[in-house]
Amino acid sequence: MRLCWFFTAHSCTEDNILNLQPINNISVDQSFSSPSLIESSINGMYNAAAIGQYNSTSPNGGRGYIWGAAFVQQGDNRGEDVVNQATFYQLTYTATYDPTTANNVYYWIDGYRLINRCNLVIEGVTKAVADGIISSDKGNDYIGQAKFLRAITHFEMCNFFARPYHINANAPGIPYRETGVDTQAEIDAGISQGRGTVGDVYSKVLADLNDAENLISNTSLTKANKNAAIAFKTRVYLHMRDWSNVIKEGLKLEGKYTLEAHPGTPFLNSYKNSESIFSIMQDATNNPGVNAGLASQYKRRELVCISPIIWTNPGWLADDKRRYENSSDPLAMVFTGSRGVKFTNKYKDDSGYTDAAPVIRYAEVLLNMAEAYARSEDTGKGLEYLNKVRNRSLADVASQAYTDFGSKNDLVKAILLERRIEFLMEGRRWQDIHRLQQDDIAPIDGIPAKVANGVPPAAAFDLSTPYAGPYGVANVPYSDHRFVWPLPQVELDSNPNLDQNEGY
Amino acid sequence: MKQLLITFSLILFGTILGIGQKMVSGVVTDQSGMPLIGASVVAKGAVGVGTITDVEGAYRLSLPENVNTLVFSYTGYGTREMEVGGASVINISLEEGSFLDEVVVVGYGVQRKSDVTSSISSVKGSDVATLISPTVTTQLAGRAAGVQVTTPNGILGEAPKVRIRGIASVNSGTDPLYVVDGMPIYSGYLGGEASASGLGDLNPDDIESYEVLKDGAATAIYGSRGANGVILITTKKGRKGATQISLNSSFGFANPVKLFDLLQTPDFLTIANEKRTNRGQAPWAIGSEFNTDWQAEVLNKNAFQTDHSLAVSGGNAGTTYYFSLGYNNQEGIAKSNSMDRYSLRGVLDQKIYKWLSVGTNLNVSQTSYVGLNTGGNSLSGNMFNAIRQLPNTPALDPNNPTGYNLSANGSNVGQWDNTDPVGDNISNIAFVLANNTYQSQVRRIVASAYASADIVTGLNYRLQASIDNPYTTGFIFWSPRHGDGKGYNGIIENNVDNLLRWNLQHILNYNTVFADKHSLGLTAVAEYQKEHNEGFYSQGQDLLDEFYNKVTVSNSYGVQSSGGGATESGLIAYLGRVNYNYDQKYFAQLSFRRDGLSKLSESNRWNNFLGYSLGWNVANESFWGNLKNTISQFKLRYSYAAVGNTEFGSYPYLGLTVGSRYGALNGLAFSQFGNDALTWETSKKSDFGLDVAFMSNRLRMSFDYYKNDIDNLVFSEPVPPSLGVPNNRINKNIGKSLNKGFEIEAAYDVLNSDDFRWTLGANLTLSKNQIVELPNGGADIIGGTSTNVNIAPNIIIREGESMNSLFGFEYWGVNPANGNPVYVKADGSLVQGNIPDGLYYSFDSSNPGVLGERSSLASSDRKILGNTLPTYFGGITSSMNYKQFDLNFLVRFSGGNKIFNSTRRELMNLNLNNNSTEILGRWQSPENPGDGVTPRLWASSNTFVNLSSAATTRFVEDGDFVSVDNITLGYSLANDVVSRIGISGLRVYVAAQNPIMITKYKGLNPEMEVNGVDINGTPRARIMSFGLNVKF
Repeated sequence: MRLCWFFTAHSCTEDNILNLQPINNISVDQSFSSPSLIESSINGMYNAAAIGQYNSTSPNGGRGYIWGAAFVQQGDNRGEDVVNQATFYQLTYTATYDPTTANNVYYWIDGYRLINRCNLVIEGVTKAVADGIISSDKGNDYIGQAKFLRAITHFEMCNFFARPYHINANAPGIPYRETGVDTQAEIDAGISQGRGTVGDVYSKVLADLNDAENLISNTSLTKANKNAAIAFKTRVYLHMRDWSNVIKEGLKLEGKYTLEAHPGTPFLNSYKNSESIFSIMQDATNNPGVNAGLASQYKRRELVCISPIIWTNPGWLADDKRRYENSSDPLAMVFTGSRGVKFTNKYKDDSGYTDAAPVIRYAEVLLNMAEAYARSEDTGKGLEYLNKVRNRSLADVASQAYTDFGSKNDLVKAILLERRIEFLMEGRRWQDIHRLQQDDIAPIDGIPAKVANGVPPAAAFDLSTPYAGPYGVANVPYSDHRFVWPLPQVELDSNPNLDQNEGY
Repeated sequence: MKQLLITFSLILFGTILGIGQKMVSGVVTDQSGMPLIGASVVAKGAVGVGTITDVEGAYRLSLPENVNTLVFSYTGYGTREMEVGGASVINISLEEGSFLDEVVVVGYGVQRKSDVTSSISSVKGSDVATLISPTVTTQLAGRAAGVQVTTPNGILGEAPKVRIRGIASVNSGTDPLYVVDGMPIYSGYLGGEASASGLGDLNPDDIESYEVLKDGAATAIYGSRGANGVILITTKKGRKGATQISLNSSFGFANPVKLFDLLQTPDFLTIANEKRTNRGQAPWAIGSEFNTDWQAEVLNKNAFQTDHSLAVSGGNAGTTYYFSLGYNNQEGIAKSNSMDRYSLRGVLDQKIYKWLSVGTNLNVSQTSYVGLNTGGNSLSGNMFNAIRQLPNTPALDPNNPTGYNLSANGSNVGQWDNTDPVGDNISNIAFVLANNTYQSQVRRIVASAYASADIVTGLNYRLQASIDNPYTTGFIFWSPRHGDGKGYNGIIENNVDNLLRWNLQHILNYNTVFADKHSLGLTAVAEYQKEHNEGFYSQGQDLLDEFYNKVTVSNSYGVQSSGGGATESGLIAYLGRVNYNYDQKYFAQLSFRRDGLSKLSESNRWNNFLGYSLGWNVANESFWGNLKNTISQFKLRYSYAAVGNTEFGSYPYLGLTVGSRYGALNGLAFSQFGNDALTWETSKKSDFGLDVAFMSNRLRMSFDYYKNDIDNLVFSEPVPPSLGVPNNRINKNIGKSLNKGFEIEAAYDVLNSDDFRWTLGANLTLSKNQIVELPNGGADIIGGTSTNVNIAPNIIIREGESMNSLFGFEYWGVNPANGNPVYVKADGSLVQGNIPDGLYYSFDSSNPGVLGERSSLASSDRKILGNTLPTYFGGITSSMNYKQFDLNFLVRFSGGNKIFNSTRRELMNLNLNNNSTEILGRWQSPENPGDGVTPRLWASSNTFVNLSSAATTRFVEDGDFVSVDNITLGYSLANDVVSRIGISGLRVYVAAQNPIMITKYKGLNPEMEVNGVDINGTPRARIMSFGLNVKF
């Protein structure tokens, strides 16, 4: 430190006192100026997916919205296969959200925060390639990854904030953002863009996923890879009920992944196994934390348990390996909590929260294909693909494996049940409820009735009696406005061009 | 100095004239009997007859025959006139700082109070020094008009909110600038892990005076930092004279002002199970073995607080000094909350030559705080937790290895015989407070050195260099066994915050009187300031063992993390001020400041601030004539100035990124949207004032009407979140707001005899805030200025309304037929929230038994529920001296504001949690409809029945109150007794702080709100203390 001890003003120069530059922050103009800064900017995009910001004032203080944890917790709690025990996810669970409640608000805010980072990456990398800072191959890989994240995030949000594609593709969608916003002009242009239609969103999602498939060279699990783009397309086509494309995309992955012998292995070894396709990485010093980490909420704090509705479903065999419970074996998939109710043990690390968040697994691709085969009348293939997933969890395949269903409808229903069991507490349930509205085979009307928010009695988990009520949370019919989430009030307050969902 | 010169010249004249016919002599002392050296003694009505007192305070003067009155005065003391009559010896004592001739500290200098044309309030340090308080500003409450000081909770180390003439900003800072002896100090939080206020390091006993600069003319000299007002704190200095030793000692006991009236076990069982049986569910509250008072687990009784200070001062013609030692130790109202402070001050002023003096002022302090989790929404937040605990469960359990009542897996408090765990999965707060640690220790140096040169008569140059260097170490430990640390298997952290600010000022002052009646003062200043603030931390999670709970020990934890950062800012200012008055009748002041700031882009960096003020003391006009005997002063004032506000981060105009890791990989991402057009927020302040004094200044009053127009409000403008801009906000200069108000200050010497002196003071402020213009075509800003998730949803900034008004639903009451809550929709129609199905139906009060059509309670039904800023506030002070006794008190009042009592809503919790006794008024049946406010009980339905995500008028209350803030009764030993035992003064006193609060507010205290929302605060303290002042 230098005190200006002299009598002349010039020793205390403007340079010394007024021309100060940040010490903690690199200027935004520099963030794509070298290969290593570009690599870091790519990671910064994944940071938004893994951590988010939620309501924190710290840019790294989020709760895993969307892809670090929230897609699991919100996707589960919107459905009936879990029971929310405390106040934590109560608004989602009981459908008492409004345009200001945090869960739905931050799904939107953190989703678009990630999307803007993707768009800034696409623009920054494009310029860096043009300036010769990185090669075009490298640039394409990065751009493909950004397009993948942009696509899956729009898709995920669209299914929470808009009505299903298959019922009306012309219903209001959500704005599909493709420009990185860092100037006032881009803000003004972005505000002028309306909601568009659900169909617009789906076609842009597919376009981005196709680009991602073609551009990405990365093969690691915790970053977007070519196979993840393909796998995700099977999900999108399934929602579109475009069975042949589900099968076509699924076949591209044939031989690239195999299911682990035990259904617990992809969770025990969440970073290294043969069936996870894309997962979000978490680290002990950088994760969604004690208020969101998967193993914090689902394991240590016992905030959400498995619902007796699915637990006592007679279609889920009593000796199925996915009920495996053993407090001294980390491979176990279930544990009994302190109040006698059942919790998932898929997420293990309840102090460091380092479990990877499972975004898409090969088992889903197989069941997507099974359903597509079955619905397009190839029941043989449908059964074969269903058994690929189910048989590994059976205690005795020879005696318990499905052999034949009397009808295509029963096969489809079995596949749908299998999804609930296989992906229990992986956040998949809401998306299935959404796409099965007005289904021709297994229709669901709105949000199914649920067990009351709170701790269910231990007796309700008795496998000898399928759960038949009471349902403390009533069914919300499809016609009810609560079937979709409201757009956040903060969005509507500052954006005159988006219309709120009807009824809010 | 000036006074000395004048007095010297008077003596000279007197000697030349040599017409003395009558000799008078005596001693001039201060109130305690200490001689005043260099006091002036002047014959009234005889030009040039006067003298000054010698080192014994003695004077000797020969008077012309026709002189019958002597005028005694001393800088910083009052002036007294004495009839000579036939006396030849006149001994007199002067009081410190009496009214008109009092010197007032202003920015970069001092002025005589009678010359001041801006709005400044002064509070003497001695008025507040004997009250025990965690920060020096706490006790300014109620003592000056326009100055609002509120203490929102009883946690030591948290700074009170100080607002001068309202809230001047939305997104920039709203705290005043604190200047101690010319050095702008750090006044915010200083770091560490327990709250550590930047105002907690000063020893109140060291403070001579506080001056609050309120209007533009007074604050313009501080330019970019003046928008929220300026508080000038002047510390004590040595005085010529014999060494004086002063010892002040006090101790006291603090208790919570009020506790929540929670259910005890019998009522709790009834209520808790009625929640369930109403729903057709089995009872969940079982067992009446215990009746635990959980508030007693988090709050102290008779918390011990003590304060000692020892000061030595004195000096001779060349050197004066003041040294002091201070020690303060306070145990908090909250368990696990305490502070102690050691302070040392050394002030030395040395005259080197007749024209040159130098000096230093050094303050070294160490303040340690022990803190706790007080989060209004934290599961281990002390009050959040305590009010939810079940009274039929114990805090301790000898059968548990920890000794505390915990659940089987150790995550939560044990449920004991209840069928369900306590709601919200809270921890056992008794374990948490006993095992988790939060600490801050501030070691701070505030030092300055100056040289002052009298270049020619009237012209003084002063160079002052100062630093403020708070160095704060923090520590945190969360036990791995239970509470907040359980989820990490323990956390331990050490951290350091090192703040350093230096400030250099060159000050030229010129004062002259020409042509007898024109007095002119000129001030020119160049000021340079820079600060560098940095900090780092090291943290471990997943502890090897609880043994490692003292400091982060290498290799004693599994997950290691560290971090830190630094920010800098700088300021250069050139400023000037001209004061002029003609014959004490007409006054004018003009000030100019040019500020350059590192926080803004090069093109917007420099800005000019101009202020002026005018005054006219009508009472000094000849036409006022004999009226002067009745109205001794009648001064009209007007002032105007533009000042700035720049408290908005270090580099708000730049587009920035922040380190954003993905897993263990380095990452970088967009964190701040740049706006290089960002410029100052400007506040245009005007003030009309009138100072009047009656009956030889026995009654003094000031009236001020003020108006602050704030332009270019720096708003972080909300941007649609779907654009993904960082924080969904951009810093912009948009928006306008307005503060206006009226202030009265009055002081009255009710009695002034030798035996009985009584002075009453009063002040009143009426204030109004209005948002004039908002960005985005005037769109509401829901959440107001708050980022706190418990506060933001309940407040709004809306054009035409007062800042941060309450916003939510209007509550009608309970449907007497079925116990449903009924609300008023925007169109005035009524809807009921049907508890069993959680849906809204219309409500017809003439036919309450029938559910109407399906309806809704939508966001658009929300409305303004009241303003959160008091519209009036003030105080009454009384100071009485009767013989050896003195009695002082301060009564304070405030009101016109509404408070959303969110804590009261939480006490209506419908989970398995305890409640306040208010819930006993619930609806039970049409025959037994309760208080008409509290709906039917229904387990696990807070969000619907109590509308827990929005404010409702059900919990909105008036914030009006009258509070007796403090009463002090003292007894001083008589002078003859004192001298017999060899000391020069002794006073003992007893003081009560916050003894009486009169309010209809149902919460703990109407001042325990933040932005109009009361959220789980720790009660404030009521303190009884006893003290002793001895002078040797």
